Amino acid sequence: MQNNKSGVLESVSRRRKNKGKLNLIMDRQKQSKSESLNNKDTAECACSIVEAEDFSFYYGSTMGVKNITMEVFPCSVTAIIGPSGCGKSTFLRAINRINDLIPNTRIEGTLLVNGHDIYAKKTNLVNLRQQVGMVFQKPNPFPKSIFDNIAYGPRLQGTTKGSKLQQIVEESLKAAALWEEVKDDLRKSALALSGGQQQRLCIARALATRPSVLLMDEPCSALDPIATGKIEDLIEQLKSDYTIVIVTHNMQQAARVSERTAFFCLGELIEYDFTPKIFRNPGKKQTEDYITGRFG
Amino acid sequence: MRLSFRYISDKAFTGLTAVSVVLLSLVLIVVLAPMIWRGSSAVVFKATVEFRKMQMDLFNRGEPSELQAEIARTESFRKEVYETLDKFKKGIDTESLSDQARRIHRQFGSELRLRNITGDEYTQLRSLTRELRDRLLTAFESRDIAEIRENIEYVSGYKNDPRLTDTSASALFELGTNYLESAQSIDLKQFEQYSESIEEIEQSIRDLFGPRPGEPTPAGVRLRYGATRWDQAAKCLDRLFWAQKWVETEPAKPLIKIKLSRAHQFAGTELEKLFEYMEQNVQKLLNPRLTFYWQYFIDDSFNSHYFGGVGPEILGTVLITLLGMLFVVPLGLISAAYLVECASDNPAVRIIRMCINTLAGVPSIVFGLFGLTFFILYLFPLLGAESKGCILAASLTLAVLTLPVMIRASEEAIRAVPQTYKEASLSLGASGFRTFVTVTLPAALPGILTGVILSLSRIAGETAPILFTGAVALGPVPKSVFDPTRTLSYGSYDMAVGDRISMMVPHNQYGMVVTLVILILCLNTLAIVLRTRVFKKLKGQ
Amino acid sequence: MNGTKLILTRGQATGLNRPLALTPGQDLKGYVASLLGRAVLFLITCTSVLAVLLIFFFVCREALPFLSKISLSEFLINTEWYPEADNARFGALALIAGSVYVTIAALVFSVPVGILSAVFLSDIVSFRIRAFVKPVIELLAAIPSVAYGFFAVLVLAPWMQNKFGFSTGTNALNASLILAVMALPTIVSVAEDSISALGPELREASYSLGATRFETIFRVVIPAAHSGIIAAIILGMMRAVGETMVVWMASGNAAQIPRPWWDISQSVRTITATIAGEMGETPKETPHYWALFALGVLLLILTFSLNVVSEFFLSRAKRALGKQ
Repeated sequence: MQNNKSGVLESVSRRRKNKGKLNLIMDRQKQSKSESLNNKDTAECACSIVEAEDFSFYYGSTMGVKNITMEVFPCSVTAIIGPSGCGKSTFLRAINRINDLIPNTRIEGTLLVNGHDIYAKKTNLVNLRQQVGMVFQKPNPFPKSIFDNIAYGPRLQGTTKGSKLQQIVEESLKAAALWEEVKDDLRKSALALSGGQQQRLCIARALATRPSVLLMDEPCSALDPIATGKIEDLIEQLKSDYTIVIVTHNMQQAARVSERTAFFCLGELIEYDFTPKIFRNPGKKQTEDYITGRFG
Repeated sequence: MRLSFRYISDKAFTGLTAVSVVLLSLVLIVVLAPMIWRGSSAVVFKATVEFRKMQMDLFNRGEPSELQAEIARTESFRKEVYETLDKFKKGIDTESLSDQARRIHRQFGSELRLRNITGDEYTQLRSLTRELRDRLLTAFESRDIAEIRENIEYVSGYKNDPRLTDTSASALFELGTNYLESAQSIDLKQFEQYSESIEEIEQSIRDLFGPRPGEPTPAGVRLRYGATRWDQAAKCLDRLFWAQKWVETEPAKPLIKIKLSRAHQFAGTELEKLFEYMEQNVQKLLNPRLTFYWQYFIDDSFNSHYFGGVGPEILGTVLITLLGMLFVVPLGLISAAYLVECASDNPAVRIIRMCINTLAGVPSIVFGLFGLTFFILYLFPLLGAESKGCILAASLTLAVLTLPVMIRASEEAIRAVPQTYKEASLSLGASGFRTFVTVTLPAALPGILTGVILSLSRIAGETAPILFTGAVALGPVPKSVFDPTRTLSYGSYDMAVGDRISMMVPHNQYGMVVTLVILILCLNTLAIVLRTRVFKKLKGQ
Repeated sequence: MNGTKLILTRGQATGLNRPLALTPGQDLKGYVASLLGRAVLFLITCTSVLAVLLIFFFVCREALPFLSKISLSEFLINTEWYPEADNARFGALALIAGSVYVTIAALVFSVPVGILSAVFLSDIVSFRIRAFVKPVIELLAAIPSVAYGFFAVLVLAPWMQNKFGFSTGTNALNASLILAVMALPTIVSVAEDSISALGPELREASYSLGATRFETIFRVVIPAAHSGIIAAIILGMMRAVGETMVVWMASGNAAQIPRPWWDISQSVRTITATIAGEMGETPKETPHYWALFALGVLLLILTFSLNVVSEFFLSRAKRALGKQ
């Protein structure tokens, strides 16, 4: 079966040389569509919250990701794995358009969030980013107090009343399992916290704007194992209420926390399926090579 | 052989580079050390009683009763100096002696008329006193002790003449005997040198103690007081104790200055005691006391900086600087923000960048010309203001000059803010503007502050652009920004190349420039410290 | 989690309750606001452009009447500068020569020292000493020019007069020494930047072939960084050409070309010093006044062209680095 699939891929790449680009895209689309349809059959919830259709992202002339077609389902954890430079972060950052900061970027295809094409001209970026929160690779608290860090989002939304802010800060910190550790010195600089605490603070900060989707870009890569464990526990608790998309290069982590896993390689989506299936019985040879460590 | 040559050349090269850096540091020390050392004496020095008198009169500073007591104490010691001098002058100042003799003769004549003595007796007495007077005059002009004695003794022969006793003519005898006394004590051959020397001594004593008590107050402030500082007093004493002479040691060589001891010159005379007395009692005569004259930085100056401090100069510099910052900080900050946050690489932005570089390269004197023609001759008349150099024109000119400094520093600071801050803020739903104001700007603030301080020090130190746009060497304290002002930078220039008076007070000369240098060095050190800290902070994260 | 209820977030996960699409009003408002904001920021940023244009315009405007009175060739070739004489002469060659003279003399002193110091800082010492020396150089740049002038007149000039028996202490040597000190910080910092920007790879390659440090620096590092070093020298030159107070105070201000030309102990006078010294006493709207502005234009053109050349070399240095 695996051999068969890789045979298809080979034939695709062979056809690439012979046929025009358009045909190739259509081919890939067909293939992806059939896959996602397969997934949909087994999904708990039929409506997806993030949906990429033949989505490509370019940095100037170099390509970041190409022809991604996948869906992210609400109230679950979706992991994106793959070797470095495979475009997993690029794809994640495209979901709340934080890649706009980089000059000379270009997209093709569509990326729907809640059914809305977010790369359409009339997109309310403020609403998008507030509802699609993000946690970054390195903890990046503002050089302000813990309280101000968390209150930053709510204040942007117009919440200025002290008691209300206090409540939001407390709830967010509790949700991020940081409250017990910092409740006594909320006025302390956020930079004085340890790395793991800083990362949980960043999660709390993202939660304070009441997002529906939480994007996590290798949230544990800069942390030690204990802090990583705490963050993973946290993800476990959050997933009942949030849609979480997590990029990680740690396969054990993906296996531990996620329900679905997407494998990216060289800017392309190779395989997207339920996590147990990906890890126990991957559909593609490339996936298997990567998971078993034979990846070149 | 070849290897060793390579080795040596390598070492020599390393040494050479090290030497050049040491040279660099040395230059800093060579330039700064003498200036700071001499300049600090404007503030910390030994002040004499004259200084306290001056402070009381000009600035109404000090305790009057204490000062009066101090003056009385020093005056009591000075009295002796004046007395010795007067006594010696009696014998040496022949011109005034001759005048006295003539006056006595005239006075006697009128006295006789008053007593109604007429006819032969009058003629007789008049001719007698005329003869006595002429004898005295001969004695005064003579340089031969025998002739003097002969003439004086002749005059003294009439001392007991009943016609002359108890009349004004009897003063002639006293004049004669006094003169004989002092003439016997001095070397008459050196008479000319004596009278020349005595003038110098009197001048030195005037420089030391100020005008004598009872003399009318001189009009010039500078002449009203003696040596106010111990270093000045030491110079006066040097002139008092040592005569300076230019002598030719070898023909066709420049003259060499040598010092001759006056005590030696006046050996054996009444005046010899004076030098000894002054040398022993100089502390009591002047009462020098170590003083920290911090008011130097707020006091106005008198007589072309002869007395007083640099208060108006500091005020003018601060006014120009602050007003300039008012223009340059918002402009520079906004420009930098635009260049970092909004501008992509298009031709317009490239032109802006080129202009900023050009602006940074324009010579400062050209800014002066620009300020003169644009602000003063064009813009001010256009807006109905008076067309003259003023603080506003100077600060506007300097603002244009420092704009590139401010833009570059702020740009660097804003660029140094980690991208992650911006990403975090944007991902929380903040708009670009909001992100800049609430996240980027606070994080860049220390760096921007560094830029502000650097521009500040640049504005405070520049001289050439304000030469024609608002700086004056002397003038009243400005009342508004439409008045010209004195500044530290222009003041330093003026005192360095200026008039003789400022050359007489090197401590004030150096004090002015050191005030400027220290002000700017402090600002720059602050900027360097701030930047190092920011660097560490950003690196630590 | 200790059983904490997520009050504020529960029930949102299945859908986004705030619209992702902008209403047309919002869209227009946002568009206009961002356009307006950008326009305002752009205009403010253009102040620098405006300043440059105004400087060129106003200085040239005052200089134009002069060019209609006196021919350009006389201005540039004649050496006689007697602006206040009955038969006024406006030959600026002696002044131009003075500027060039002190600038070149200053560079002769400062370029070797500057480049050696830059090499020392970038290649030889540890980071610690470098962190100590750099502020010293910065302080050297921060001292105001009038303080240097003060030093030149009151300390250096008498010392020179006594030590070397010059007829006057304020002469070309004095001015160029001080200018050299003032140009040094610029030269050192720009050259150091360009030398250390090369990165360790080049040096390592050279060392691994058995070259000594001297050979590495002279055969590899300096040739590779030559664009940046040339730019550093030109920037230092600009500083020296444009400097006013120091040359005014220290150069002696005699409008003459030294004869013999190498006699650096003679007084000279520069363009900047002439403007600074004579503008204050010159009545407006006279040939003399216009002549001083013509000197200003000359200075502007000189520094502008130097600027363009340095930009060229700096961008070349940057491009060379980009390629490696």
